Amino acid sequence: MNTNAIPAQTPAVSASNVAMQFSDLMAVKDANFELENGRFLTILGPSGSGKTTLLRMIAGFLKPTQGQIFINGKEVNAVAPNKRSVGMVFQKLALFPHMTAAQNVAFPLKMRRFDAKKIPARVLEFLNLVRLDGLENRRMNELSGGQQQRVAIARALVFEPDLLLLDEPLAALDRKLREEMQLEFRRIQKELGVTTINVTHDQREALVVSDQIIVMDNGEIQQDASPTQMYRTPHNPFVANFIGVTNLFDGKLMSASAEGAEVHVGDLTLSGILRSSSDASVLGSQARCAVRAEQIRIAAAPDALGTLDLTFQGVVKDVIFEGERLLYELSVPELGDEPVRIFHHDQNDFATHDVGETVHIGWMNRDLHIFVAS
Amino acid sequence: MNRSRSQQIVYWSLVILTLLTLSAPTFVVLGASFTSGNIIQFPPDGFSLKWYAAIIGEQNLRDAFGRSLIVAIICVLVSLPTGTLAGIALSKFRIRGANAIQVYLLLPFTIPLIGSGIGLMLAFGDAGLLGNLWPIGIATAVINLPFMIWAVSSSAVGLDPDLELAAQSCGAGPVQTFFSVTLPAVVPGVITGSLLMFILSLNEFLVSLLLVDARIVTLPVQIYNSIRSIITPDLAAVSVVFIVVAMLAIAALDKLVGLEIFLKSK
Repeated sequence: MNTNAIPAQTPAVSASNVAMQFSDLMAVKDANFELENGRFLTILGPSGSGKTTLLRMIAGFLKPTQGQIFINGKEVNAVAPNKRSVGMVFQKLALFPHMTAAQNVAFPLKMRRFDAKKIPARVLEFLNLVRLDGLENRRMNELSGGQQQRVAIARALVFEPDLLLLDEPLAALDRKLREEMQLEFRRIQKELGVTTINVTHDQREALVVSDQIIVMDNGEIQQDASPTQMYRTPHNPFVANFIGVTNLFDGKLMSASAEGAEVHVGDLTLSGILRSSSDASVLGSQARCAVRAEQIRIAAAPDALGTLDLTFQGVVKDVIFEGERLLYELSVPELGDEPVRIFHHDQNDFATHDVGETVHIGWMNRDLHIFVAS
Repeated sequence: MNRSRSQQIVYWSLVILTLLTLSAPTFVVLGASFTSGNIIQFPPDGFSLKWYAAIIGEQNLRDAFGRSLIVAIICVLVSLPTGTLAGIALSKFRIRGANAIQVYLLLPFTIPLIGSGIGLMLAFGDAGLLGNLWPIGIATAVINLPFMIWAVSSSAVGLDPDLELAAQSCGAGPVQTFFSVTLPAVVPGVITGSLLMFILSLNEFLVSLLLVDARIVTLPVQIYNSIRSIITPDLAAVSVVFIVVAMLAIAALDKLVGLEIFLKSK
């Protein structure tokens, strides 16, 4: 085998055992992932999870204390940020305040020594791409928040980098503009086909825009999967709880097989699907069960629930109106002291249960995820 | 804000009193310079511009003024690069012992001028440099440098560190990043500091007194020498010229960077 040949499917970005240590803090531990060319990856996690540190190592602003980062198959650990073909949109945008929109977009072309005669046309092309035509001579303080976002995107993309990095640039926007810009990022990314890594703590954004999601917590990658996989088959309780609203019940593992597993929670036996990847599924060990709020059905009478594997009685403690849905918080003594949270969407049957009312709930065993503590 | 009438009266009285106290010396000198009499006094005795004509005609004063301008320009040329770089470095990098360096750089400010003046006089004397104008420019730069550093670092503190990272990700090397992003961001501080240095150096008296000889007196020293013989209203006229130069500098500052930034700086 020729060791010099680059495999046809060289990932656009890959990380191999990457770690970052700041004096006494391990910000990123042993991160491994691959990202295919042209795909949109979101690194999702709470603040302090190490997601921004990982992104800054890919940009070249931080040098990993361990492991290697590859861009297009080449190790880049020792390559300065200005020598990498990586465009970046910063959290606070970091647009140059003393330049106009066009000058900001032209800056990377000048620094990267593009043919000076072709720069103005290229700048206009990219300002058109982000729909800012006509505003090229505005200064940054004369542009709205959304327009500044667009300048930052154009500046990051104008030199056609191999890789685009987004460091939570949408975090400060109000919800409507944020959702508009999420779709805008998606459109531009599809149009140019540029490989993109986005960092966010917004699980909705991650599900909407990404081809691939990496969930991080405490410096460690918790799961690396497509949005649907991530949502349907979470690897551990953290992922189950971070994406979506999830009810967790603690118990002991009683049986485990490929078809399903059983967990004793108090006096109950809950059946579900074993999600833990570890082989340490020793019977009798600690286990957590997770059911998403939208996978629990609720009704006033037991026969109105339809066919379910397991049903309970509970008392409504709180009803929260969220617009397109209702969130019920129920007290179900058999399932412990924590309130059980249920989303209710039925258009014909809206807000029929009052606080204090006794209701019936239930779920299908296939919707219960079981995780064994490793 | 809704304030009662008596409160308003108290506030405005205080404001007017403060303004009067602060500007009283200026008005006295201004008035005295327009006297038509031969002794310096306030209120002036009549009105005339003859003392202004007198100082224009006076070769000594014109030469001294020219020398003071040269000293001030040298001071700015020296302090602009040093103070700008020091100001940026102190606010941008977490240097080990940054506080100690800051204190050290602000030291000239805390030493009595007569002390630094004598020190500089001995140093320049040993080096055989006394009798030249440029050492005076350097001396005024040294003793006033804290103002330059302070003006630049107050601009640099507000600098978003991501701006420099953004320049790098755009392909700019360290030198290009400094000139295209860092420096433009601190320009208001650099302008403020430079004008301040210019005025302070132009007006510097005590240190100049120790470093000049009879051939190269600067304007403040020339005025001091004149006071020792006879006090005539032409000194008031010279003082007014000083005030006008300072006001022009402030006006230039306002025009270039806006006074808010000057007033905001810590």
